Amino acid sequence: MTRTDIETEILRIFREGFEIDQPNPDDHLRDKHQFDSIDAIELLVAIEKYLGSELTQAEKKLAMEIRTLRQIFDYVEALAKKRQLFSEG
Amino acid sequence: MTALLRYVKPVWDVIVTGLLWLYYIPGWLVLCPLLYLLAYFFAANRESAFQRLNHLFHRGFFLLLRLFTPGLSWQVQQEIREIRSSVIVSNHLSYLDPILLVSLFARQKTIVKSDFFSYPVFGWLLKTSGYLPSTTGGEFSPMMIDRVEAMGDYIAAGGNLFVFPEAHRSRNGRIGPFSKGIFTIARRCKAPITVLLIRNTDRLFPPDRLLFNTCISNTIDVSILARITPDYESEDFSLSDLMADVRALMENRQEQRP
Repeated sequence: MTRTDIETEILRIFREGFEIDQPNPDDHLRDKHQFDSIDAIELLVAIEKYLGSELTQAEKKLAMEIRTLRQIFDYVEALAKKRQLFSEG
Repeated sequence: MTALLRYVKPVWDVIVTGLLWLYYIPGWLVLCPLLYLLAYFFAANRESAFQRLNHLFHRGFFLLLRLFTPGLSWQVQQEIREIRSSVIVSNHLSYLDPILLVSLFARQKTIVKSDFFSYPVFGWLLKTSGYLPSTTGGEFSPMMIDRVEAMGDYIAAGGNLFVFPEAHRSRNGRIGPFSKGIFTIARRCKAPITVLLIRNTDRLFPPDRLLFNTCISNTIDVSILARITPDYESEDFSLSDLMADVRALMENRQEQRP
């Protein structure tokens, strides 16, 4: 799993799951796309599916502080590294 | 308004408001702690028992309100009290609306501003009743995540989740912009959606007023606008379309407001 894979998958989730197409990586998701805390929980479920493992409470709590798409990419990359799924590609 | 009523009304507004506040706070402290403590320690399902107690307490509140407010009548469609296993969305006109819905549903959850969860006693009630904190981070995030994740089972077991998708009270009767969180939860839980329309609670307890507006002719009306069972699995399903449909339902009915 590379950074590009992660970005592609997250963009797919946003498009199909949240009907948000081509968001700018630095958009404030709540202000610009009405992405709220419930959406964040849905996103966590999708990330768990993508990584093939459950997130810990601490990891989930961390996710609730995320505000931009770029932060989501970084967050998933960190999770993938922790689970030894990440390759620099 | 007759001359006598002009003098009586302001006094009666103060009396009714005072009576209801007495019921709501000191009344709760006198009547309820023992019941809630018994439920806390002995109920098989603590959350459900708290919801039922909240429901009964608020039924008492509206009973008093109806009893002591001249000119007030009440039209709540009978089927509303029979709603089970549903996400319920409604327009929002007054601070009375959330407690009105609590008084209608024996098993109810809702989303509450997270600050309230920190208040003594009230915060404990909210937490133990299983309500969801509305938060985008901070200490209540884990609770919100847990409760959203458990919502499917709660709804499948007959519980209702009611929310005002406008989030804020409308100041002009028009339907405001929707938050999509409740619709996302409905999709997640594959739950049917019941759309309600509340009328005239803003005349009874106006947004900019501290006192109840008594001695006027007013009918509180709660009706079902639609029961929607979306096909969440369909490729054509769209959350935005669902929200637009619900919004259109509320707006169309609002336009027919007498």
